[in-house]
Amino acid sequence: MPMLEVQELEAGYGPIQALNAVSLEVREGELIAIIGANGAGKTSLLMAISGIISARRGQVLFCGRSITGLKPHAIVRLGIGHSPEGRRIFPRLTVRENLELGGFTQRDAWQLKRDIAEVCELFPVLGTRMNQLGGTLSGGEQQMLAVARALVGRPTLLLLDEPSLGLAPLVVAKLFSVIAGLTARGIAVVLVEQNARAALKLAARGYVLEAGRITLSGSGQELASDNRVREAYLGEG
Amino acid sequence: MSVQFFLQQCLIGLTNGALIALVALGYTMVYGIIGLINFAHGDLIMLGACLALSLVAALGLAAAGPATTWLGIGLLIVLCGLFCGTLNVAVDRFVYKPLRNAPKLAPLVSAIGVSFIFMNVGLFWIGSADRSFPELLPSINLLPGNSLQFNWKDLLVVLVVAPLMVGLSLLVRVTRLGKAMRAVSQDPTAAALVGIDVDQVIAATFFIGGFLGGAASVIYGLYINTIGFQMGFQNGLYAFTAAVLGGIGSIPGAVFGGLVIGLVRALASAYVGERWTGAIVFAILIVILVFRPEGLLGRRTSEKV
Ligand SMILES: Nc1ncnc2c1ncn2[C@@H]1O[C@H](COP(=O)(O)OP(=O)(O)O)[C@@H](O)[C@H]1O
Ligand SMILES: [Mg+2]
Repeated sequence: MPMLEVQELEAGYGPIQALNAVSLEVREGELIAIIGANGAGKTSLLMAISGIISARRGQVLFCGRSITGLKPHAIVRLGIGHSPEGRRIFPRLTVRENLELGGFTQRDAWQLKRDIAEVCELFPVLGTRMNQLGGTLSGGEQQMLAVARALVGRPTLLLLDEPSLGLAPLVVAKLFSVIAGLTARGIAVVLVEQNARAALKLAARGYVLEAGRITLSGSGQELASDNRVREAYLGEG
Repeated sequence: MSVQFFLQQCLIGLTNGALIALVALGYTMVYGIIGLINFAHGDLIMLGACLALSLVAALGLAAAGPATTWLGIGLLIVLCGLFCGTLNVAVDRFVYKPLRNAPKLAPLVSAIGVSFIFMNVGLFWIGSADRSFPELLPSINLLPGNSLQFNWKDLLVVLVVAPLMVGLSLLVRVTRLGKAMRAVSQDPTAAALVGIDVDQVIAATFFIGGFLGGAASVIYGLYINTIGFQMGFQNGLYAFTAAVLGGIGSIPGAVFGGLVIGLVRALASAYVGERWTGAIVFAILIVILVFRPEGLLGRRTSEKV
């Protein structure tokens, strides 16, 4: 049984239909990539999985159970973490408070401390910035904080929306090495990226989203060598 | 005009200001969390005062001994606080919540509507004439000498307002709920994505703001000694002004703004004349906002990343 199953999902904003019969699946501990142009519906897909926007049709199953229509906080509590597009850290809270909020569902204060310490091992720079306001971090640090915040909640599935956006190549490499290591910790990842090359290199499998529809899917390697993908998303051909 | 007279006016102003601040907190907290100016807040407090008046009669507090009186006042504050808090939550649940994703004007106009409904309830409850609220506390000067007056009821304001404000600031700073409230006010979507039940946090905020208003309504009755179904409008307006002056959305700002407005009102009515008070308060407000649109302790919008 796949961990996450999206079946014929449709969602949108008023008259705009952002997702059209989208189906995909993620198996336990698997990293999949979703690539697609600006406006293809990638963010909407993650927001619909997390319950921020509601499904008009179709459903989302998590561990075999339908989570369609649940409120976002209930979905997070089932183990789906989400680091949203544009980082969206809390700018006027300290790094520590941001991380504590990441573990909002953890009521054991000692366990929360350990979880935060563990995440700070992945992103050592955050450990040195604990009392600084989130909004005063550099772009790269904010992105790390956004990923770290989602990890503190100990998700079994992590949705990452364009973590590399606007970051220097060195920072992207650092971030991607952490993301690559997540599957070894048993965390399944849905990685949404414009940086298709890097994403497909990490991903076991990938999906191409175009104007709200899945138009291609396959293993990371297959997609990276597909002519259409190379032309449209890898800038080759 | 003596120094003593000036100090006396300051004392009166600060005491009044503390009361204004308590009401201002209700405006600023709701604005901070959902960006709504809850125009019904002043009238909510008027209803709290109606309940307080009814309870004073029902409990026979006007004829009680000192110990019973203090106990009774404590009970009034808790009951009126719970009443206003619960009513505020109900209004959010049935009026503002369905409009959460509507254009901002819709909940704003609804808030004005709720304000009128509350006023009519108040009219039905206590009638159209002003009602006198019994003096429950003896007017004895607590300060030595005759130069400055500070009575039991002045002390009552301090005794109630100070702990409520300390409690509120602790709640917002250190508790899980407080952290969740700050997160929701900064980014509700991101807050939901870390597992915060946003609706519940908003309801809690309405409850706390309403509770503080309920406490304020009791003190208002005991301090001003006159209540009426229209009291919500003017008092609400001053408190709202205090919240804007301090920087709407900012909790210390509401407290500071309340104290400033209280002081300005007292000094203006003592040195210029009662009837100029409103004009002076609002002229100062306008001048301050021209130079600091974000309010005295508010955030500059450019800080918002
Ligand atoms: N909040 C919104 N309101 C209205 N339309 C939106 C909103 N967010 C996204 N859209 C529209 O939905 C479509 C998909 O957008 P999005 O999911 O953000 O795509 P992507 O993340 O792939 O760039 C686009 O046409 C976009 O204009
Ligand atoms: Mg996007």
